Amino acid sequence: MDFFRSIGITEIVFQFMLVNSILGLSIYLTLYTGMFSLANAGFMAIGAYTGVILTQNFDLPLGVALIGGMILGGIIAIPIGFPVLRLKDIYLAIATIGFGEVVRILILNFDTLAESITGQEVKLTRGALGITGIPKITETWQLIVFLVVVAYFMIRLHRSRFGRAMAAIRQDEQAAANMGINVVYVKNTVFIMSAVLAAAAGVLKAHLTRTISPGDFGFDQAVSILAFAVLGGTSTWIGPIIGGFVLTALPEILRDFKQYRGIVNGSILLLVIVYLPGGLVNPAGWSRLWKRLRQSPEAGENHART
Amino acid sequence: MRKSPARFLSLIFIAVLLLPATLSLAQDEMAQPLIGSWETCAVPTNLPESVNIGAVFALSEAASVYGVAQQNAVQLAVDEINASHYLGEGTTLNVIFEDSAGNRDQAITAMTKLVEEDQVAAVLGPTLSSEAFGADPVAQENSTVVMGVSNTAIGITDMGDYVFRNSLAEAAVIPGTIAQATEQLGLTKAGLLYGNDDDFTVSGYEVFKEALEENGVEIVGEETFVKGDVDFNTQLTNLISAQPDAIVVSALAAEAVQIIIQTRAQGYAGPIIGGNGFNSPAVLRDSGADSEGLIVGGAWNYGNPNPTESSVAFVTAYEAAYESSPDQFAAQAYTGAWLLATAIRCGDSADRTAIRDALAGITDFDSPLGVFSFDENRDPLHDPIAQIVVEGKFQPLAVVMAEATAEATEESGG
Repeated sequence: MDFFRSIGITEIVFQFMLVNSILGLSIYLTLYTGMFSLANAGFMAIGAYTGVILTQNFDLPLGVALIGGMILGGIIAIPIGFPVLRLKDIYLAIATIGFGEVVRILILNFDTLAESITGQEVKLTRGALGITGIPKITETWQLIVFLVVVAYFMIRLHRSRFGRAMAAIRQDEQAAANMGINVVYVKNTVFIMSAVLAAAAGVLKAHLTRTISPGDFGFDQAVSILAFAVLGGTSTWIGPIIGGFVLTALPEILRDFKQYRGIVNGSILLLVIVYLPGGLVNPAGWSRLWKRLRQSPEAGENHART
Repeated sequence: MRKSPARFLSLIFIAVLLLPATLSLAQDEMAQPLIGSWETCAVPTNLPESVNIGAVFALSEAASVYGVAQQNAVQLAVDEINASHYLGEGTTLNVIFEDSAGNRDQAITAMTKLVEEDQVAAVLGPTLSSEAFGADPVAQENSTVVMGVSNTAIGITDMGDYVFRNSLAEAAVIPGTIAQATEQLGLTKAGLLYGNDDDFTVSGYEVFKEALEENGVEIVGEETFVKGDVDFNTQLTNLISAQPDAIVVSALAAEAVQIIIQTRAQGYAGPIIGGNGFNSPAVLRDSGADSEGLIVGGAWNYGNPNPTESSVAFVTAYEAAYESSPDQFAAQAYTGAWLLATAIRCGDSADRTAIRDALAGITDFDSPLGVFSFDENRDPLHDPIAQIVVEGKFQPLAVVMAEATAEATEESGG
């Protein structure tokens, strides 16, 4: 423990690492099924706001808020998934970015909107200022338990018939359909599972940072979530967890570099992407890198220059 | 690169030779700074050899416009405090700077590191209000003073009795600015433009609106934008077509520059009244001649006609150290560091609670911001100043208008 604290990973950093790995797993599910969805920040926002309103306005415990946020995230994913998942690749990405923006702007204007409908003063999402003064009630052990449960679920999923169907759809959607896989059903279910996970992360994170505002769940957040999965690697479920850990811990570990921190941080990420295109957790990538380094050190340099 | 290597090396050589001499000179001749409670509080005797304070500023990413000036100013203040033995002969004040990158999660982790790992006596910052709402409770829970030197949103000091700020809230600056502008310029109609997705710009907008209504200025149009927008032409066309006497804008520095340029490009020549985000030399530099006639309320002005003695000394020292002019954020950060040092001196203790109690008791502290006190909510009390841009510089509005009236009388008289 002391070692981790000495390199800059305090308890709060570890908590953020755990939350971000949950977020990484949420986008991993859709990526694993071949869907390039960037809706996770939007679902995270739905979870965060639902959870905070449940604990703050209704005095419910965190566990209930967590389940409430997950249910609402999942319910909203159903009508979004059906039309949007007909799109593929970059078109799906654009549509889901649009969804994230709609969520953010709806939350931003929720109070004014509700006021114009009900005619009474509404103070629920509190506009751009967001909700402040949320107690910090998420505990590290809760995050660890949640992550372990999700990881167990992932292992079971991969070995199940449904998990094989997910992989088949990623490989070739048409072929999967021809084999009798209900592509629409699998895709939508995965999208809902992804939304539920993102919403859970939102609830847990909101009770760590003590304040949430719509700006926290914009495009930046969507891209960060994607980065956790991509940097970690999307070939196994361990990848997004490692990706979330590394991307969160690295800026803290590098604090001693002072003003060069951003440069060092960026350089490390660049090196990982260039030399390990499949992400950090990717045995094939490591063995390829190992071979290349052992055979000719110059080859690596040439590669970097091109 | 501009100098030849030989010349550069010889300069270093000379500098190295002179270093011991200048150091001793600096120590001997360091006059007592004009800031500080030298008389009211005795030289402290119970302090340890070194006292650590922390500072969480946005030193990278977009908000570093503010953070770097704050870091410079705090370093300057700490150097002065140590050189003048403000905390007694044997005590040095150290400051640990942490970068928050304008990101709330990083502000929280940086605050946790300073308060729980480094065990600092008190913390300055964070730079942005949105960071403060997440990070300040960490200090509050650990009974550590945190003093915002640029947080202007509503509700900052409501977070607890260890949360202070020395930056005037928008609520304190804007009413004075609007009142002075209305009086000096005879405004009757105004158009409002604001960013509706940021704590800072929204609370600014709310106060602007209230102040305009209070002064009997009719609001002829309201338009919004979001952080990161670069094109404001649609909103500006709508506002300008309503023929306002002034366009009132609540925006951060990044958007402020484009808003100024595009307003002028549309042919509008009247006054633009901006919130705190416009109060930076960087905004003036980047918007060039278009910034003429921009009116901004501020806590501190570089060209204040009646600066305090400590303000003059601060400007001289800052310019000598960093070869650039300080802005309001630098002045507030500099004052913040001196306030913390004063609390340590007057409480004669580096204990966190003792610092809090001594800080809350500071009244009529002569600072670059003017005569400074904390009110019962640990918010600052000092007079704001309405400023207008003339020839690329912030000038106090009252001075400029008085000069203009004098010239007009001369012309009509002649």
